[in-house]
Amino acid sequence: MKTRKDADYQNRIELLQGTLDMLILQTLQWGQQHGYAISQALRLRSGDVLQVETGSLYPALHRMERHKWIAAEWRMTEQNQRARFYRITPEGRKQLARDRSKWVAMAAAISSILET
Amino acid sequence: MKFARRWFAFDKRKAELDAELDSHLRMAIADRVARGESETEARAAAQRELGNVPLSKDVTREAWGWLFLERLGQDLRYALRQMRRSPGFAATVIGTLALGIGAAAAMFTVVDHVLLQPVRWRDPSRLVLIEENDGKSTEGSQVPWLDLQQWIQQSQSFQEIAFSSGLGGRNYLEGQTASMEINGESVSSNLFETLGVQPHIGRGFIPDTPTYATGRNTGLIVLSDAVWHEAFGADKNILGHTVKINNQSYTVAGIMPPGFRFPANATNLSPQVWVANQLGDRDKGRDWNSEHYSVIARLRPGVRLSSATAEMSTIQKRVSTQYTDPDERQLNSHTLVERYGDTLVKDDIRKALLALLAAAGVLWLIAAVNVTNLLLARGTARQREIAMRGALGASRWRVVQQMMVEGLVLSAAAAVLGAGLAFGSVRLLAREINRHLPLPAPATPDTWILLALLGLTVVSALMSTAWPALIAVRAPIEAALKQGGLQSGTGRSHHRMRGALVSIEVAMSLTLLVACGLLLRTIYSLSHVPLGYRTDHIVVANLDIPSFRFAGRNMTQQLYAPLLDRAQHLPGVQSAGLMSVVPLGGTFTIHFQMQMNGYAIVAFLKAVSPEVQHVFGFKMAAGRYFNDRDVATSQPVVVVNQAFARLYSPDKHNPSAIIGTQLVNLRPKAPTHIIGLLEDTHQAGVANPSMPEVEIAIPQITPEATFYPVLEGIAMDLAVRTDRPTSEILPELREILRQASPELAHAPITTMDQIVEDSYGSQRLAAHLLEIFGFSALLLCVAGLYGLLAYVVTQRTREMGVRIALGAGRANLLWLVLRQAGVMLLIGVAAGSALAFASARLINGFLYGVKAHDGWTLALAAVLLFSSGMLAAYLPARRASRVNPMEALRSE
Repeated sequence: MKTRKDADYQNRIELLQGTLDMLILQTLQWGQQHGYAISQALRLRSGDVLQVETGSLYPALHRMERHKWIAAEWRMTEQNQRARFYRITPEGRKQLARDRSKWVAMAAAISSILET
Repeated sequence: MKFARRWFAFDKRKAELDAELDSHLRMAIADRVARGESETEARAAAQRELGNVPLSKDVTREAWGWLFLERLGQDLRYALRQMRRSPGFAATVIGTLALGIGAAAAMFTVVDHVLLQPVRWRDPSRLVLIEENDGKSTEGSQVPWLDLQQWIQQSQSFQEIAFSSGLGGRNYLEGQTASMEINGESVSSNLFETLGVQPHIGRGFIPDTPTYATGRNTGLIVLSDAVWHEAFGADKNILGHTVKINNQSYTVAGIMPPGFRFPANATNLSPQVWVANQLGDRDKGRDWNSEHYSVIARLRPGVRLSSATAEMSTIQKRVSTQYTDPDERQLNSHTLVERYGDTLVKDDIRKALLALLAAAGVLWLIAAVNVTNLLLARGTARQREIAMRGALGASRWRVVQQMMVEGLVLSAAAAVLGAGLAFGSVRLLAREINRHLPLPAPATPDTWILLALLGLTVVSALMSTAWPALIAVRAPIEAALKQGGLQSGTGRSHHRMRGALVSIEVAMSLTLLVACGLLLRTIYSLSHVPLGYRTDHIVVANLDIPSFRFAGRNMTQQLYAPLLDRAQHLPGVQSAGLMSVVPLGGTFTIHFQMQMNGYAIVAFLKAVSPEVQHVFGFKMAAGRYFNDRDVATSQPVVVVNQAFARLYSPDKHNPSAIIGTQLVNLRPKAPTHIIGLLEDTHQAGVANPSMPEVEIAIPQITPEATFYPVLEGIAMDLAVRTDRPTSEILPELREILRQASPELAHAPITTMDQIVEDSYGSQRLAAHLLEIFGFSALLLCVAGLYGLLAYVVTQRTREMGVRIALGAGRANLLWLVLRQAGVMLLIGVAAGSALAFASARLINGFLYGVKAHDGWTLALAAVLLFSSGMLAAYLPARRASRVNPMEALRSE
């Protein structure tokens, strides 16, 4: 049913929120990218494990833009396609560093629990 | 402008987001095509991957923080479109809610003006009225200056103590544009400061504490805004000019702001003026001849009423020892300190208003329940539309939100209409309200009233839409889309809930109808109380005596005797008499206190001409009434009533023994005897017991007589017994009044029957309003029942068709629907009886001659409600029984 799926969307956004932001910022470290490329990059680098839905990706991008972690501009792609390119800001780099250290600490904590 | 610019920017961003998602899709397709998929395959796959695009856009835009407004705009447009598409439905909902909101808002307006904010001065809760009394009675009396002076000197609880007394008699002001009767008050120079209101033009009086007697304010007057407009054409240069009241000159020192009234509850609704009080010879003593003042004081910040009361009682103990007469000392031994606002409205009026507000609230609830039912029916009809919107990607919360906005739009429209209804009816009933309530209730909104309207609007919308909206979105989408149309199943429980709503309406309506019935029976009982005198064919003119015109003359001979003579000689007049106030007139009362045979006597005092007995036919229990031999030169006599004799007769078992006893000295050195015992009549109200009364014959009241200025100089009723219709005799009556004194030409003239009718007071107002509320409730209730059954029958047309096809008789079907209605009505009536029983306590105080738990009234109301309900059910029931099976089945 359609309505169930709506609920799934909302859930996923919530689940991934912090993590997705970090992953996007990490991706943008290698240079500016448009939305489609970001989603492809995340999929490829995770070995097809992470499928980021449009319904999560664009809200996250626009939210981060409002926080001034990333900035956007319209440019042409190599295939001559007009697209909106996102670029990480100094503020975004600081945020990435914060997220990353938090993540590392948490991952270490979780794996130490799992290994005992 | 800023908003518009931002909105424009918002629109631009929306377009950008569309473009961004579009470019995403293109790139995804291009990728897939590059990997070797066909164009169509690639597009379908990419679109699937992209998912619910509108929802993605919504969620993204939410990240901008602007979506809320955009949605609101959308919802408003959508709601208006819905209203345009089914104007009949919208009109029904708006009309129903407007009725409920209007009734509630109208009652709230009155309650706000009369109970919540009777005066709008600075911090009115700190204003108190201080009176003297005997420590037992709940009523107090006004205060002579000598006592008041000591309060001012000794008390610590008050920031200011101000005082005032009426100018007395009738006062006529000669203005630039008109001459008019005014209501004058002689006030201390600090009164306006105490109240916290300043003149809006001029500086008013110059405060001159502590004696208030210095000459700085001598001859100053402050005008009310109404007098300024009516008598001076709102002349801005009026300050410093001279105005004349009863030929005495005053200098204008200020104009009070519009709407200011003091005393706030003056029964005389004439425009007011205030002159600066000057202490004089009448302020040097403590006897009946001294000036007595109303005392209004402002508590110091933080001082509680109880501590002020305690302080005043200590002071008054000392003050009262200075009374030489032991009875006077007792009568003034205590003080009564009450909040000014509480003294303005009597307890029975307060209760009546609150009960009526509750009744209006019930009517509003009935209206809201009715609308809930309407919206539920509509929700079912719109099931498909709602399902479609869900299928197109609207989230549930979004649909609920949108339906709520729809409800708000409907209820806001109803509130606008209801406010119009409310203010219109308050204005329409203004005359009635002024007659029964001590304060005017202008149909003007204030902050409280607007807040109440807003509250009613929002709560109406929430109450009536929340539930239908939740039910609508909870319905499974696929089922609704597949089946389509009206026949899609709505659950049994859903029907049962709607039935329950109708039962609730019935229950609440029954409560209102019972209350209405009880009050109508009260009015009936009141109108059948034996009055003890005749009221038919009597015309009564209520005269305000312009005593200033007769200063130094004998009013008995120069005003009353010729007036009576002319009235008796009018064609068609059988008899005419004068009475300081006719029974139940309520325009003017004189209480008098005195000593007799060792009792402290308290009684009403009336001046009458002997002829009134022919007009009214008062009956004597013993002795005789006045006759034409009781004149100024004969032995002074008085007549008392049975209530007086019961209390003060020398022989407790024989009231007639009072005849022959000596009463007050009517004139100095003229012993006065009681010569007659009147049967009791009700002076204040039909439902109130008779009070002790003493009557004095007008021909015996000479200017030397003790009570002359009070008995003859303030008010007099002229009662005329005639067979001619009132309208016919009116011009002739006015002409003889004008001959007596020009001011009298405009005296209010009415009939005795009307006066009796008016005396029912709060009961009559309550009965009228409850008739309106009860009838509206009945109407809403019947409409609600009809609406539900008509809808159910439409929904079950096919079922009815099948039943007929299978051999069910038409009577069976009729019975089927009627039974459903009967069950709802019976449940409602049962619950309503309990509710009416429980709420009877609320109106117990207004009932007369009928018990609050009167079975007959309840039964009658129940039968009325049940039978009109069944009548409403009959139409849809008949439609059900006439279903053509072929058509019903084919329509599927």
